[in-house]
Amino acid sequence: MVKILIAEDEKAINELVTFNLELAGYECCQVYDGEACLEELLKHKYDLLILDVMMPKRSGFELMEFTENIPVIFLTAKSASADKIKGLRLGADDYITKPFDIVELVERVKAVLRRTKKDENVFEFDDVRIEFDRRRVFKAGVEVDLKPKEFDLLEALVNHRNLALSREKLLRLVWDYDYEGDTRTVDVHIQRLRKKLGISDRIQTVYKRGYRFEI
Amino acid sequence: MKIKFWQKTWLLTMALFLISFNIGVLIIYTYHKNLLIEEIAAFEELYYVGNSFEQDYQGLAEVNPQATPALMCAYGRRYLKKDMPIAFYKEGSDSAFHTTFSKDISMESNSVAQKTVDGTRYLLISMDVCDGEYQIIVAKDINSFDSELRIMLYVYMAISGGISVVLAVVLYFVLKKLSEPLSLMRKTTEKIEAGDYSARVEEQGNDEFTVLAKSFNLMLTKINEQMRDLEREAEERKLEAQRKQMLVDNMAHELRTPLTSIHGYAEYLEKANVPEQRRLIAERYIISESERLQKVSEILLDSAFIRENKVEMSEADLAAVLTDVSEKLRWKADASQIKLGCNASPAPVMGNETLLSMLFYNLTDNAIKACQAGGRVCLSCCGDQAVVEDNGKGMTREQLGHITEPFYRTDQSRSRAEGGAGLGLALCSQIVQAHGADMHFESEPGKGTRVIITFTSWQ
Repeated sequence: MVKILIAEDEKAINELVTFNLELAGYECCQVYDGEACLEELLKHKYDLLILDVMMPKRSGFELMEFTENIPVIFLTAKSASADKIKGLRLGADDYITKPFDIVELVERVKAVLRRTKKDENVFEFDDVRIEFDRRRVFKAGVEVDLKPKEFDLLEALVNHRNLALSREKLLRLVWDYDYEGDTRTVDVHIQRLRKKLGISDRIQTVYKRGYRFEI
Repeated sequence: MKIKFWQKTWLLTMALFLISFNIGVLIIYTYHKNLLIEEIAAFEELYYVGNSFEQDYQGLAEVNPQATPALMCAYGRRYLKKDMPIAFYKEGSDSAFHTTFSKDISMESNSVAQKTVDGTRYLLISMDVCDGEYQIIVAKDINSFDSELRIMLYVYMAISGGISVVLAVVLYFVLKKLSEPLSLMRKTTEKIEAGDYSARVEEQGNDEFTVLAKSFNLMLTKINEQMRDLEREAEERKLEAQRKQMLVDNMAHELRTPLTSIHGYAEYLEKANVPEQRRLIAERYIISESERLQKVSEILLDSAFIRENKVEMSEADLAAVLTDVSEKLRWKADASQIKLGCNASPAPVMGNETLLSMLFYNLTDNAIKACQAGGRVCLSCCGDQAVVEDNGKGMTREQLGHITEPFYRTDQSRSRAEGGAGLGLALCSQIVQAHGADMHFESEPGKGTRVIITFTSWQ
């Protein structure tokens, strides 16, 4: 299981990030200051560090010296581009400014883990097995033939599991539409996924919210 | 008296010129004088010869006129030994009657001339003698005399050449020495150009170079001062900009953090399939963070209000304000098991009661937060002074230096957990400033803090 260390001195935000990453299926560890973060880094092995810049005892920038083998995403209120550049130059893999969107957070975490090849490339539930690398899906050991967009939709739902994704969001994530497209397309593809994989109970329709993959 | 540069140059050049010129004149004068003396001597000799012949001739003519040629021969021989050839011409004849010259000499009668005969230079004189019967030409060898003069000429040329060289050399060094301060100054300006602003010109002597050097140095000092002022100003401006940037960063942090939580938890509640326990946590965070946002915005608004508006001052009683504040905060002190005391005697000061109440509310609130259960906070006032005292955790000297900066927290995680934004004391300091009062902190870690505020008395 992918382990993520979250270093953020604001308890509210630390828990918020934790809740959301746990939903997406990651194991999270929380620390509230620079010293504790350094201690954790030296003691355990983590796959990703989510790091606040302004922290007591040691700032996020200071901690960058100790994060050679581990991808880092900066989380901060500072939106000045000079700080972004500084963070990225120090070796950060990405940058998220507050306030952030849950889906955006999970997407960025996924992207960084994919880049550093730390994310799991297989996901299993019930009798379904998804191999993300090879883009193949098996049901009870038999491969199911999914069209490219159907696979992308399944991937988006699984990546944001337990979160309701609106039709617009799904259009943007899967079809790359940045405008209000034909939301009917989403409904049609959802129906096909449910039918092909027999997972109608997993892909829930949430009233006025969209769809949610529950597990 | 000061000798000025142009005077020095003028005097020296003049002196050198006069010396060399006069030496030259002296030499020329000596040459001419010698020449003249020699010439006179020669003439005297020649005249003597002419006259003595005439006398001898006249004496002989009375005794034996036929002996004239023999007399001429005798004269010729005698004076040839002295290198003085003689020629005699009979009147009307072009060829010499008798001569000891190697060739014919012709001259006007009674005249003087210089001629070269057979490579020898002669001074010649012709005289009519014996009542014009004969013309006698006597010559004197002036070769040796001429060469002496030539040697003198060479000596003169050598001396004048030498003097010219000496004049040139001496003038060169004198002018160089005189203009030395200028080249020193040039070196100094080069140093300054290279960035060494501490370089100074030497102030030696008392001519106008010294005056120039003094004003030059004065100018340098002035420029240095100005530059230092400008640098200091730039530095201050930079620090000010940094302070502002930090304030903006802190403000952004202070506003975005609760906003992020509120937005995030709301989104979480909306989208996620959340268990009951987590739903409760999320709801609690939404409420507490929005309260925090409200608090920050209130303080910022108060602060802006004080900054933008002229505070109306009237008679305010510190005792009433302190009593009021202690009543308002008693519940909080009780809840933390802290003893809150108020020892106030009437103290009328110049002030605005609303702002004063805000000031002491913040200070007392801080004091309560600094104390642990069983601690003690005491408010008191006397005359134009008010004191807020606690026996809490205290602060270090380093912390004291920062406490009135906006968004500064002595203990970040703890005071955030208590809902502080680090703005309270910044606001207090603003209120104190608006009152023209003085706020003074005395603190020792572990022992407690004492805040003393001195106001202006009412009349």
